[in-house]
Amino acid sequence: MNRKSYAKAVIVILLAFAIGLVGFFALSAAFPDGLEKVMGDNGVEEGDPVYTAPLSYGDDYGGALLAGIVGFIIVFGLVFLYLKGMRARDKA
Amino acid sequence: MGEENTHIPDGLMDPAVVVAGWALALPVIAFAIYKLNRNVDERMVPFMAILAAGIFVAQMLNFPIGGGTTGHLIGATLAVVLLGLYGGIVVMTTILIIQCLLFGDGGLTALGLNLLNMAVIAPLVAFALIKVLGRGFDQNRKGVGVPLAAWASVFVTAVICGGQLALSYTISDGAFGIDGIISIPAMAIYHAVIAFGEAIITTGVVLFLSKVAPETLEFGFSPKEAQA
Repeated sequence: MNRKSYAKAVIVILLAFAIGLVGFFALSAAFPDGLEKVMGDNGVEEGDPVYTAPLSYGDDYGGALLAGIVGFIIVFGLVFLYLKGMRARDKA
Repeated sequence: MGEENTHIPDGLMDPAVVVAGWALALPVIAFAIYKLNRNVDERMVPFMAILAAGIFVAQMLNFPIGGGTTGHLIGATLAVVLLGLYGGIVVMTTILIIQCLLFGDGGLTALGLNLLNMAVIAPLVAFALIKVLGRGFDQNRKGVGVPLAAWASVFVTAVICGGQLALSYTISDGAFGIDGIISIPAMAIYHAVIAFGEAIITTGVVLFLSKVAPETLEFGFSPKEAQA
C-alpha cells in the first residue's frame, strides 16, 4: 500500500465511523453493553473511579464524532511514532 | 454516551483479582513488545497504526443484540489476523491504555484485568484457532477460521471475565464481583450473541481487505504460520 491508499483507508474508516455513529445513537446509546447488563441485573454498582480521565466519548453525535476523531489521531500517532522509533533504533 | 465504562470499572473486582490481572498481563505484553520490536517490518508501520486507530473508533460503535443490551467489537481477532499474535497484543494494549487514561473507559486499577482479557486472552484464543483452522482464504481452507476465531475470542474472554467476577465474589464473601452461578452463564449468554457481531465485522473487514488490498493480509502471518 502506498501513501494514497493509506489516506483513502483513513477516509473510509472515519466515514464508516461517522455513519455508524448515527446507528449507535439511534439504536444503542441508551442501552448497556454485556458486562454493564450483567452488573445492572445483579444490582452491582460501579465503584468510584480512582482516576478522572481528561476526555470523554461525548454525549451527543457531535461530541462522539469529535472524540472518535481525536482518539483515532492519538492511537494512530502513538503506534506510528513508537514503531518508527523502533525502526530508527534498529537501523542505528 | 453517558457512562464511559464499557470495560471493567474500578471497584468491581476483588483487589487480589485486580493484582492478579496485572501480574498475568504485564509479562505477556512485555514479551510481545520485545518480539515485535525485533520483527517489525517497515511496511507494517502505517498499516498497524491505521488498524489500531480503526479498532479504537469501531469499539465506540455499540450494536444492539436485543433485550435492551448492546455489544461492541473487541477487535483482537482482526488485529491478530492482520498483524500476527505479537502485533495484535501490542495494538490491543495501546487501544486499552488510551481508552483508560484519556477517555476513562475501564478503571485504572482494573486496567490490568482489561489488558489480560482483551489484549492477552482474546488475541491468544484467536491466534490458537487461526493456527488450527487457517484464516479461511488460505489455500485448501474452508473459510471458517476467521469467523470462528472472532466468535471464540469474545466468548472465551467473556466467560473468563465471568469467572473473575465469581472469584472476586468468593474470596471477598460477596463484597466484590457477582456469584459465579449467575455471572458465568450471564456473561456467556450475552457474549455468545455479541460474539456473532465480532465474527461478522471481523470477517467482513478481512474479506474487504482481501479484495481491495490483498497485500495487507501478508503482514501478520507468513504463509507457513497461517497454515499451522
